[in-house]
Amino acid sequence: MAELAQPSGRFREIARIKLADAHIQQALDDSTIRLRTHRLDAWSALPEVQELRERAHEIRMSVIDDLDGHVERFTAALAARGGNVYFARTADEASEYVANVCRRRGAKLAAKSKSMVSEEIGLNQALEAVGTKAVETDLGEYILQLAGEHPVHIVAPAIEKTAEDVAELLSAVRGKKIPPHLEDLTNAARTQLRETFLNADVGITGVNFAVSETGSICLCTNEGNGRLVSSIPPVHVAIMGMERLVPTTADLAVLLKLLARSGTGQKLTVYTTLLTGPRRAGEVDGPEELHVVILDNGRTNLLRGRYREMLACIRCGACLNVCPVYRKTGGAAYSDVYSGPMGAVLLPLLVGLQQAPSLPHASSLCGACTEACPVKIPLHELLLDLRRDLVAERVAPWTERVAFALWSWAWSRPLGYRLSTALARLGQPLAGLVGPGRAWARVRALPRLGRRYRDRR
Amino acid sequence: MRDEAEHEALSGGVTLVEQFVANAEAVGCHVHRRTGPDIEGAGVSTALYGLADTGSVVLAAAPDEPRRNSLLPDVHVTMLAEDRILPGLDELFAALGPDLPSALAIVTGPSRSADIEQKLAVGVHGPREVHVVLLPPA
Repeated sequence: MAELAQPSGRFREIARIKLADAHIQQALDDSTIRLRTHRLDAWSALPEVQELRERAHEIRMSVIDDLDGHVERFTAALAARGGNVYFARTADEASEYVANVCRRRGAKLAAKSKSMVSEEIGLNQALEAVGTKAVETDLGEYILQLAGEHPVHIVAPAIEKTAEDVAELLSAVRGKKIPPHLEDLTNAARTQLRETFLNADVGITGVNFAVSETGSICLCTNEGNGRLVSSIPPVHVAIMGMERLVPTTADLAVLLKLLARSGTGQKLTVYTTLLTGPRRAGEVDGPEELHVVILDNGRTNLLRGRYREMLACIRCGACLNVCPVYRKTGGAAYSDVYSGPMGAVLLPLLVGLQQAPSLPHASSLCGACTEACPVKIPLHELLLDLRRDLVAERVAPWTERVAFALWSWAWSRPLGYRLSTALARLGQPLAGLVGPGRAWARVRALPRLGRRYRDRR
Repeated sequence: MRDEAEHEALSGGVTLVEQFVANAEAVGCHVHRRTGPDIEGAGVSTALYGLADTGSVVLAAAPDEPRRNSLLPDVHVTMLAEDRILPGLDELFAALGPDLPSALAIVTGPSRSADIEQKLAVGVHGPREVHVVLLPPA
């Protein structure tokens, strides 16, 4: 059975470890500042960026309004081009379908390019069970696979690894020492993975966007592994969240203009590939079989409610780079797959608040994420609403619920309000010794409570 | 698709070709006029379009345009007729219409990665060098 990637459930514990690690703090600082600066430069070089963001939001919401219709049109268009579409309601159904394709082809080796959804459904374990070894080919993901770890950033999965770490991992595969220099490391990985591309029985990719009108899937990569994996092996399996759809190629253009600029500051990723069906008559390469797995896995639950805008997310990573919480804790505290503000909203929605009660609190609600989002998802507002749900659904601890009920009761009455502020001033000297104030006071001075404005006159 | 004179007026006198060359070089392509470099083992392709805004070449899979020519060799040389240069993505998808080839690759520079310590490495899996040879209008 495939294992659904769950929230870490140990946010504070993991965050504390990462906070104490000077190397990781430096790496997080460097990479998030760099990516953020690049996005801002790219946005300011594009005069129409604000109109594009509005347009992108409209396009994404129009798809969410009629998602079933789009899935249907995409399926018909791709089938007309000879592609197979499978709609998977659950993570297990998706993994099982891909495993069956591999079993039927007797696949020993699958070359994978980066796919967050395959992490979400725990695909690699499911393939192992049918005797197919899945090798990650994105450089960052390959390094993490060798280390037995998971991505900590959507677009820069291995930011916490140093060149020395990478040299050690690649040397172990090679059986000889590889110096920790960028060029040597890149060459070593190129050589090692070239064999994977050429020998793979199946290529597995994610999907950045899919176009309902034409039945095309769009992959955006910089290294070229996405193109190799979808061109060289005889079978290509692409897995996508059902919300990746856009109506037309004209709409795709709007989103492509924003995706790379928001993720890395590039105008476009090096390879933007649009695939419409398998190899056609007379062509000498390209896959003989193309399978597109469309994954629901909880997404339809979001279609009609308060949180539907979260389905507009294009997974660019911009919100991670500006989040004061993510920039200190890194991705692992959130989950093995999604992290930062988008992860803090999405994970509780996909797996239930009960499973991820700490994530809506992994935010200062400063709104930097909302400002950075190219498709204008009000991320910090959604996080606040999730906190409300935590209380309403009684997921929050009873102490918190009782405290807020008392507060609400007292502060709706003048006497209660006056009493509370008088008590607070009296209790002030104790605040640094007991209760939640203690953790705060360990590293900072507690602010002094002033006299009420009314009493000062 | 805007004609070149109109676009030239819009972009303050810079032609699409000049814009393409500047942007292609900015992303690390080598641009040649009329004749290409003679590099052993290079993969050769003919680009369907070029995009001036991004310096991209657009490759469409076809019986005489295998995907691997622009993927497996260390060096990729692509031929681009100057009158096939469009302003950008909007014009590209308008020109292509809804009937798309099995594989369309919009290639913007050589293969690259910043996965190790956020430092730029060129030639990770795809070609390390991309040469664009500009040909006179057909």
